[in-house]
Amino acid sequence: MTSTTCNSRRHFLAQSGFGLGSVALAWLLKQDNLLASPPKPDLDPKSFDLLPRRPHFEPRAKAMISMFMQGGPSHMDLFDPKPALDKLDGQKFPGEIKFDNAAQASPKVLASPWKFQKHGQCGMDVSELLPHFAGIVDDVCLLRGMHTGVNNHGQSIYALQNGRVLGGRPTLGSWLTYALGAETSNLPAFMALTDPRGLPVLGVANWENGWLPSLFQGTAVRSKEPRIPNLDPPTHLRGPAQENYLSFLDKLNRDHLRDHPGETDLQARIASYELAAKMQTAAKEAMDITGESAATKALYGIDVPATAEFGTRCLIARRLVERGVRFVQLYTGNQTWDHHGSIRTGLPAACKYIDKGSAGLVTDLKARGLLDSTVVHWGGEMGRLPVIQNDVGPARVGRDHNTYGFSMWVAGGGFKNGITYGETDEFGHHAVKDIVNHYDYHATLLHLFGLDYKKLVFKRNATEMSLVDGQNARLVNEILRG
Amino acid sequence: MAAPAAKTAATGPLTFEKDIRPILKANCFHCHGEEGKTKGGLDVRLRHLIAKGGEQGAAIVPGKAEKSLLFTMVRDGEMPKGQGKKLPPEKIELLRQWIAGGAKVARAEPAKPGAADEFTPEERAHWAFQPVKRPEVPSIQSSVFSNQSGKERSGSQLNTENWPLKTGSKPHPIDAFIGQKLAAAKLSFSPPADRATLIRRANFDLLGLPPSPAEVEAFEKDTSPDAYEKLLDRLLASPHYGERWGRHWLDIAGYADSDGYTDTDTERKWAWKYRDYVIRSLNADKPFREFIVEQIAGDELVKPPHKNLPPADVDKLTATGFLRMAPDGTANAGVEQKVARNAVVADTIKVVSSSLLGVTVGCAQCHNHKHDPIPQADYYRMRAVFEPGFDLRTWRTPNARLVSLMSDEARAKAAEVEKEAKIIEDARLKKQNEFIDEVLEKELLKRPEELRTPLREAYKTVVAKRTPAQVKLLKEHPTVMQLSPGSLYLYEQKKADELKKQTDEAAKIREKKPAEEFIPVFNETAAKDGPAPTFLFHRGDPDQPKQQLKPGDLTILAALRPVDLPEKDAALPTSGRRLAYARALTDGQHPLTSRVLVNRIWMHHFGRGIVASPSDFGTLGERPTHPELLDWLASEFVAQGWSLKKLHKVIMTSAAYRQASQLSNAEFRISNSKDPDNKLLWRHPIRRLDAEQLRDAQLFVSGRLNPKPGGAPVPIMTDETGQVVVGVNTDDTAGRPSGKFVGLNGEEFRRSLYVQMRRSKPLGLMETFDAPRMEPNCELRNASTVAPQSLALMNGEFALAQAKFFAERVAKEAGDSTDESKVSRAWQLAFSRRPNSTEMSDALGFLSKQRAHFTANAPKEAKVAKGKEPPPTNAEEHALTGLCQALLTANRFLYVE
Repeated sequence: MTSTTCNSRRHFLAQSGFGLGSVALAWLLKQDNLLASPPKPDLDPKSFDLLPRRPHFEPRAKAMISMFMQGGPSHMDLFDPKPALDKLDGQKFPGEIKFDNAAQASPKVLASPWKFQKHGQCGMDVSELLPHFAGIVDDVCLLRGMHTGVNNHGQSIYALQNGRVLGGRPTLGSWLTYALGAETSNLPAFMALTDPRGLPVLGVANWENGWLPSLFQGTAVRSKEPRIPNLDPPTHLRGPAQENYLSFLDKLNRDHLRDHPGETDLQARIASYELAAKMQTAAKEAMDITGESAATKALYGIDVPATAEFGTRCLIARRLVERGVRFVQLYTGNQTWDHHGSIRTGLPAACKYIDKGSAGLVTDLKARGLLDSTVVHWGGEMGRLPVIQNDVGPARVGRDHNTYGFSMWVAGGGFKNGITYGETDEFGHHAVKDIVNHYDYHATLLHLFGLDYKKLVFKRNATEMSLVDGQNARLVNEILRG
Repeated sequence: MAAPAAKTAATGPLTFEKDIRPILKANCFHCHGEEGKTKGGLDVRLRHLIAKGGEQGAAIVPGKAEKSLLFTMVRDGEMPKGQGKKLPPEKIELLRQWIAGGAKVARAEPAKPGAADEFTPEERAHWAFQPVKRPEVPSIQSSVFSNQSGKERSGSQLNTENWPLKTGSKPHPIDAFIGQKLAAAKLSFSPPADRATLIRRANFDLLGLPPSPAEVEAFEKDTSPDAYEKLLDRLLASPHYGERWGRHWLDIAGYADSDGYTDTDTERKWAWKYRDYVIRSLNADKPFREFIVEQIAGDELVKPPHKNLPPADVDKLTATGFLRMAPDGTANAGVEQKVARNAVVADTIKVVSSSLLGVTVGCAQCHNHKHDPIPQADYYRMRAVFEPGFDLRTWRTPNARLVSLMSDEARAKAAEVEKEAKIIEDARLKKQNEFIDEVLEKELLKRPEELRTPLREAYKTVVAKRTPAQVKLLKEHPTVMQLSPGSLYLYEQKKADELKKQTDEAAKIREKKPAEEFIPVFNETAAKDGPAPTFLFHRGDPDQPKQQLKPGDLTILAALRPVDLPEKDAALPTSGRRLAYARALTDGQHPLTSRVLVNRIWMHHFGRGIVASPSDFGTLGERPTHPELLDWLASEFVAQGWSLKKLHKVIMTSAAYRQASQLSNAEFRISNSKDPDNKLLWRHPIRRLDAEQLRDAQLFVSGRLNPKPGGAPVPIMTDETGQVVVGVNTDDTAGRPSGKFVGLNGEEFRRSLYVQMRRSKPLGLMETFDAPRMEPNCELRNASTVAPQSLALMNGEFALAQAKFFAERVAKEAGDSTDESKVSRAWQLAFSRRPNSTEMSDALGFLSKQRAHFTANAPKEAKVAKGKEPPPTNAEEHALTGLCQALLTANRFLYVE
């Protein structure tokens, strides 16, 4: 409703825009709001905010960093060794294959060109392409039975990012910030750190708010300046120039307010300029890694050009979570992992780019005592097929899509560590045991955040919408710490 | 906080009919009574059935709530079943009090519950279903106008001969109704707003734009007694009026330039024809009754076939675009057709009912309305009105519903032109073949002689008919094999250029063809077996059709007056259902249409409707703050021939509208303590500019606004950060930025309602300021206050560019080059008034501070991407741009008093 009918409670909340000060009071007011208002149809536009909110039950995780490896990392070359393929290398695949690209399909088995070895106390199998990941396996829960079952990028990205195979829906980060707000008043609650090589497939839909209010949209952080839209003034206005402007503006607004006593909207607007200014400094500070020690930077691979870019984003992600951001997602470039061809050179390059930074992130979070309350996720929207695609010589062969069984890993935030869960068949084509569908994964994630996936709903057109949205989800208790 | 006590005292003893049945209807009937279901043998639709009870015995023991299962099971959360369905404490408390008080009924009950459309007297008595009665205008004391002891205020005064009441004259009827309630609450009107404030308010209200300084000055100087009325007349005659009020209507109609429903969100290329029709109609002050009839049934007013039509008929057809506004994904691949089609019908019903009926008919799609007297069958009766146009049997996708506006004459002309172009084309084709032959021969000459003939033959054989030997031969001679019109340029550029010249020539001729335009139309196609039938869908599921229903008005409304909706009007080629329905809506007797409309108009003037829930006049909606005023306005609107412009004038000439919004602290505190939400209108509310007003006003003040009306929408694109901005998308087919820039030649500065409105891609700046997403339409906008808005104003490209343009304008218009003149001019342009002395000295201080800063820290020249506005170039311009940005982002600019 407009200014005429806003009551003091709404003003307090509106004023809080990105959350403001007296959190406890706000919490009480919200509670009070819930009790005092009888059920009403959705006529009165609700006001939304990013104040921290209590979940349905005691949470284990407070924040999440997701590394989204768009394109489909080859699970049988990285996480899920298949000796059966070695035996049949180059021979006709003995079963049925669901291809995506028929024109380049081949029935010939492709054994993994890379060696696997057991690592850590848990003895997890890891490919030689991920030497740094091999060093953190005792902190990791590897999921080998992932399944979305929609064999193309777009749909499967939607499945993992927003819960269904369709677009236009809120993504995971939007749901988490809608449910829980943020622990910071100075930074966006949901941040999307993009790759300088380009946006992932579906672009901004990876962090869209769908039909949730736009307050819960991911704030895209570019890999170069200006990192956040509208956050930074253009160069010529930075520093005193904008400070002068803001203090003059504040003066104008306060003079104006004096003529309009009691106008809470006007007060809220004045506060929102202050908040915006605070955000500028806070976000800048959060993304400035110059103060980090050389050892920390080395841990993330920032000292080496080949790994510096991704390492920097991983380090920024840690800094954001430390400062109360709820959900951070990092992306690799458009189809970085989509190795339809030249997998022998493409996959090692893709791994090299992310291995040091992603492993360093887990190590660093653990060292700082943050891993227990932070979920870390690494994975793409699919895996790959056991057979050759593009059979035009060993250097150019690749693997086609496979969403029927693939791997990804999670760590921290209440997930068991040092375990491997789920299995694909002997060739790695289909998940066959302890299958985790995208909706099972989402239900389980929400659970770690203290949220009941059936209760976390948003009312839209008189229908209650949710992340899992009526799919028959299963809480995967086997991978949660007791 | 304790649960609010159940209200009893004021309304007499609790009765089943008035207090309890609505609770049970909303929460319990579904399992305990309706659709033949009586779980546990219990039917709770009548008090005596509850007393009789079910398998567990009597559900109530009058006088003893603790012993009544109806109370205890509800209190303990056992009923209603299902998580999160526990009744709120105040309702449980009502149940307890009712039983404790003896479980009374208001009157003797029938033996059996009535059918769904046998409403209780309580349901029938709901205010919104009563006929509109023109109330007596109350007489009021002049003291209600005298809140202010005639204190002088800044700015010039409105001539105040009507303020307070002239002795012997009657008050404005609106003021009589408002004043009566104010007096009862010991409140009074505020003093009149000063002229600068009033013209700014009226301008933003009617045009969505601020006044120019010259207009402010002229109004302030006009001493004639009808100065204000002349102002209103001038504003109402402006072409911008239709743009502003058209925008309001487009909100509720759910206007968008895309189909929505799927993530593809296909562009809806011709939707703007409807947008322009709305603007045109409002500017012409087309009687709203006609406006409604055309939008619901314009096609039934135009004789088929729908071609070679005069403009008036085109307008009527275009009007039906109203029924084509709902999201429609039925042309998209992969959608479940049945579900998608049903969604189009349901969304269209939602658009019609929320805009014109003001009751949530959609709630009865799956079951009887839980709160209002709308049985499920009513929903399907309403659906039957529109069904023949949808016709699920022969569904038409959005493009199949376009009607061409090309006349036969123009079409003949186009054919003529095509003939001309064809001559050139044929000549080109002939030449192309000659060229290919020439080149082929040259290539053959490069081969050994014995190969030439077989190669030539192989090349000239169509691909499918080539022998394996021929294929092999050609593969060995790729330069022969790959010769084609497309690759000709690789062999002989000159020949290719010559062909290209002819292609261009043909294209040039084709440009002479008259352009073919379309309009999205809702119409009926003649069906042999009569109009499409409508079935009640069990639980709203199109896979479970039940009984067939005829078209009909809501039962509760049809009871007020006979409404005859034909199944098939013999006098028309169409079914005639929508035409009859539209006439029933606008018959002047319909209790909802006129109330809903005047309430919306009122809402847009005051920020809040007399009924604060503009699309729900039902039991869950808000009650009118001034029911008699609402009825007076509704009857006045009808009496004045459904003229919107006359209604504006009636409203805007009232003291309620003309009063000030700012009061001294003490006065504000007293009134505010009595009526903090200003529901009684003891002052004019302060309102934030909405998204369009804000963008348009910045453009207007900066001097860049392009006032061009109508036409195809201004394109939008997604920039590299994912923000949607005005611009031409130059991404390649894979969605990667091409780095190219296409200028818009001033189109980028057109009014916001002309910017393309893709459902999935709202303009970033506008969405930040609460522009709605159409799913399917917008009943009421939000006005939020969040930090991203401030960031957009502080650092956003649009805001910074407008500040720079504004500064350039100020420098030009200031008269002389002194800072004082510039500040004064900037103030007038942005705020419609001159700065006071404090403001002047603050502004001068700011200018010199900024000038000093930029002189000492001259910014390096930065590279500016094509299409982006470069920053100012010297300290002087920087300082003035900063000042202008402050004004364009200040509360005095963002809020209208």
